[in-house]
Amino acid sequence: MKVTDLVVAASIVALALLLSYAMFLGGIGPVPVRSELRTLALNYILLTYNPVKVVYSALAPEGVTAIVWDYRGLDTYFETAVMFLAIISVVALTHGCKVRIGLGKGGMSLIVKTTTRVLMPLIVLAGVSITMHGWLTPGGGFQGGATIAVATVLALVTYSIDTLAKHGIRKRVLLAMRSTGLIGIALTAVALLIIGLAIGVNAYIFQNQKRIGSPLAFPAYFSGTPTGGSLLFYNLFEAFAVSAGLSLAIIVTSLREKEVKETLRGEGVE
Amino acid sequence: MIDLIAALLMAVAAVTSIVFTYLAVVEKNLVQAVVFSAVQSTMYALIYFLLMAPDIVLVYLPVGVGIYPAIVLLLIKKTDKVDE
Repeated sequence: MKVTDLVVAASIVALALLLSYAMFLGGIGPVPVRSELRTLALNYILLTYNPVKVVYSALAPEGVTAIVWDYRGLDTYFETAVMFLAIISVVALTHGCKVRIGLGKGGMSLIVKTTTRVLMPLIVLAGVSITMHGWLTPGGGFQGGATIAVATVLALVTYSIDTLAKHGIRKRVLLAMRSTGLIGIALTAVALLIIGLAIGVNAYIFQNQKRIGSPLAFPAYFSGTPTGGSLLFYNLFEAFAVSAGLSLAIIVTSLREKEVKETLRGEGVE
Repeated sequence: MIDLIAALLMAVAAVTSIVFTYLAVVEKNLVQAVVFSAVQSTMYALIYFLLMAPDIVLVYLPVGVGIYPAIVLLLIKKTDKVDE
């Protein structure tokens, strides 16, 4: 690191501090009052868990998950679809590449491997816990799925891609898991609609609890604990899809040069 | 009082993140640049935590510190470690 670097970094910091001071004094524009909640936020907070006004409620104590999967469910669905497309394009780039066992050195030392073996179940457990409490405490499907994918990263770095392939964590399996998750989300979104059509009752897409003009609802309690109705299923399938998708992206990026080159030359294509 | 402490911590985290972002941009050694970028992510996670957005913290930690540096490091491994 040179002296010029330090000077430039210090001057950028000084600029940021001066700008925020000017903003604080109101020099850049009016500062929003932060003492009161805005009406929109207040409505969400009052209605997220409200057994009295069920037709406006998600019956889940966690506001963020309720907004993400119930009030604004379609937005999240298309976000998940965009991520699915990104993963698909990464896979399409390496179409036909297969892991050739025996190319690498087989991972790190025994100490690192043993430590990883102890740590990995704990990481997966933390991810499952974040997912399964998504409608009660901060967290949810994406958060839990990303945490589970970290376990795959750890396994890939310490044990090598060969070991993962030997244990059945392959591209095709992960892609199938990813698709199952996305189909599950889509089915949950239209589940009440299909039931409504079958028994001749009104229902909406992305419906969770009873709504005005529709008596259908997902079960909101399981042995006295709120389940958030459809939020439980969305979180589960999203965790499934995200953990498989991110693991897939990691595995595809760690394919070795030889394996990719073989496919490009036309050898070893399935 | 507690508000002031939170705001001060946020300011320190924000300033640190600026410094590390700059270092990540100018660093020639790409592996070090990824580490600087991960530090910047950690600072952002701290800011989100202080802003009472724990949902975002739970995404930011695995993605910003775990998966994103891992993918970039894997890609750097396939190319040169030093940016000429």
